[in-house]
Amino acid sequence: MITVQNLVGGYTHFPIIKGLDLEVKKGEFFALLGPNGSGKTTLFKLITGQLPIYSGNISICGEEISTLSKLEKAKKMAVLTQEVQVSFDYTVEEIISLGRYPHQKGIFKQLSKKDRKVIEEVMEITQIGEFRKTQFRMISGGEKQRVLLAKALAQEPEILLLDEPTNHLDIKHTFQMLNLLKERQKTTGLTIFAILHDLNVASLYADRVALLHNGSFLEAGEVDLLRKEDQLKKVYEVKVKSQSHPTVPKPQLLMTPNHFSSSQLFNFEDSYKIIQSEDYLHVHFNRPLRTISNTAVGAGIQWLKQFCQFEGPKPDKQLPYDAGIVTSAKLEDMVMVTKVIEDIHMMVIVTGGTGKSINIMLFIDSHFTDGALIDGYMSAVEAKVKTMHDLQMFESGESSDTLLLALTQQGTNIAHAGSGTLVGKAIGQMVHGAIKECFSKYAEKIH
Amino acid sequence: MRNLSIRKFSNNKIAWLYVISGGLLLGICLLGLFYSSVTVTVPTILHIILDKTLNMGWLSDVAKNEEMIIWNIRLPRVLLAFCIGASLALAGAAFQGLLRNPLADPYTIGVSSGASLGAVLVLFFQVSIVGLGSFTLPVVAIIFGLISLFIVFGLVRLSSKSLAIETIILAGIIVSAFIGSIVSLIISLSDRESMTQIIYWLYGSVGMRGWSHIQLILPFMLIGSFILIYHYRELNALALGEDAADHIGVDVKKGKTFVLIGASLLTGAAVAVSGSIGFVGLVIPHLIRLVTGPNHRHVLPLSMLVGGAFLILADLMARTIIAPKELPIGVITALIGAPVFALLLIRERFGKGANK
Repeated sequence: MITVQNLVGGYTHFPIIKGLDLEVKKGEFFALLGPNGSGKTTLFKLITGQLPIYSGNISICGEEISTLSKLEKAKKMAVLTQEVQVSFDYTVEEIISLGRYPHQKGIFKQLSKKDRKVIEEVMEITQIGEFRKTQFRMISGGEKQRVLLAKALAQEPEILLLDEPTNHLDIKHTFQMLNLLKERQKTTGLTIFAILHDLNVASLYADRVALLHNGSFLEAGEVDLLRKEDQLKKVYEVKVKSQSHPTVPKPQLLMTPNHFSSSQLFNFEDSYKIIQSEDYLHVHFNRPLRTISNTAVGAGIQWLKQFCQFEGPKPDKQLPYDAGIVTSAKLEDMVMVTKVIEDIHMMVIVTGGTGKSINIMLFIDSHFTDGALIDGYMSAVEAKVKTMHDLQMFESGESSDTLLLALTQQGTNIAHAGSGTLVGKAIGQMVHGAIKECFSKYAEKIH
Repeated sequence: MRNLSIRKFSNNKIAWLYVISGGLLLGICLLGLFYSSVTVTVPTILHIILDKTLNMGWLSDVAKNEEMIIWNIRLPRVLLAFCIGASLALAGAAFQGLLRNPLADPYTIGVSSGASLGAVLVLFFQVSIVGLGSFTLPVVAIIFGLISLFIVFGLVRLSSKSLAIETIILAGIIVSAFIGSIVSLIISLSDRESMTQIIYWLYGSVGMRGWSHIQLILPFMLIGSFILIYHYRELNALALGEDAADHIGVDVKKGKTFVLIGASLLTGAAVAVSGSIGFVGLVIPHLIRLVTGPNHRHVLPLSMLVGGAFLILADLMARTIIAPKELPIGVITALIGAPVFALLLIRERFGKGANK
């Protein structure tokens, strides 16, 4: 739909776009990304014809834009920018009917029946019918943007160009707006070419993206290119972590501000408090730990500070916790072991017994990558299984054993913690020892 | 169904506004023809007009002097007042739409001053451009009006990037003051008699002009009005700003040029025949917009009707308040217009404050 070949252009004496190729396919949502000053708006204005092209060419719907009149162009292509200031008290309906400008014929250029039909349609799609007689300047920012979208859609364009259309909008209105556009793209095959500021929003809505850097594309292609942290760091000069959206198979980016990278080291032994009563156990760290767990509350990989186990029903007392379970094991049989292995402080807390679930909480003063976190989790599980085997307990009474691994994330970064590594072995050793002690304690009590 | 009935209602409302404005205009016309030192009855007035225009008179004995008064003095005066009021109001509405600025008016943005300088030059030096004959006066006034408009825009461009409301008015004041001093210079160089003439002319008046002046203004008024009303959609689109207008397919440069030319034709021609009459272009479109909303499809024609009626009424007041002497009509319009201008300026400020 939009083809750009070897484009050079920009402001006088100073080309901002330097040799750029681009192909936006029909019915596609294409997002243009890049920091301020990378040339996004310049490229946009070159496509709308507001800035002169030095060399190369741009065609829309197979026709070169320089051969199209303004009216022909407006019939094929509509533009939605950031909020515009409207002078005088035009009503919403009057603003939308301006979108019919390129379609009006005859000397008097009144609104025809078809024009009215289209206007009604776009008002329905954008859900602004109720404001039709309201003055444009009286409605809210989100509604204004919907009205301007309706005006753009009233042009019945094949291509919609968006220049940061959700810039002033809150999350509700941003998503409302983009959902609407996506819906329109799906149902009518509208081609959308958008400048978006928010990389995560782009990842969720765009089919393809391009990263603009100093007037040319650094990368262009599927949304998955947003997983390339190095390229993003180069363009945006910010520490970027790429992750997957938890429920949607799209990358999401997380930025790390400077002040977090240089936090002071702290002493592991002084960083927690443990409260134990008859019916609960509460481990409280004074800063969040990187935690992987399968506990009822706090499952998954997260940052957590307070860890709990309850025996029987939860106590009435309001106890703050981020991760916790209700266990069938007796808390009085709890075993807590602290050790320093290979210069790494570790603490393990185990509850359990024959026929009861086994609950392991392992705290380590070290820095694990996500991969090492899972390695460590595996090492702990392997150690647990081996111990149970050694104790001739081939099946646990309940299938609800829990394991929680929490890391302080200070010190050198460890990338592997499988059972063959030093850390992995240490984890195994801790878990093995603690479970064994727990069971012998339990056995003593029974006898 | 509800929507349909609403639309019907609003269409009806607009139609009624045209009917009311037209009726108002006719009534004020008759009032203007009727009210004066010599009383001529309304049937006689109607008879004279119909007899002269359509040869459809029904009264047999009409005094020759009454016919003279109505046909040669009062009717041209009323028609001229209408033409000037309509032209200025329409030009004002167009300038306001173009500049997205409710404070713009031929008078406040300096076009009137430029045109009056042109007219004074023609009157004072008795110039006549070959081939134009008596049309030299309006043509020169129009050209001077356009030139001063470009100077104002040039000043605005140089001093600020946007066409900010205050900047335009300020540039208009600067240019007006400059041109005013040139006019004063010309006046002080002239003899006593032409001095009074020019000064009186500058205040604006529609009296003692006759049919010849209607001939002078009419062609420009027709062309200018046609150009402006033809471009009503472009004026509406410009309310979104030039970029957004461009995006919906408006040829902004062409549209702006036509609107500027049309509005300057109207202003220049009006100033050439009547002197500078201020604030008509400011007050009338504002009143119309209050009633119809800002859609130029209705604002432009209704401004013409009501602007014309307003100036006939202003002229009537000018010649009756201190009768038998006459006040300059510009005094009346300024007395009404300046307070409205101040009110608008304050409202504009408040509007801005509330938006941000």
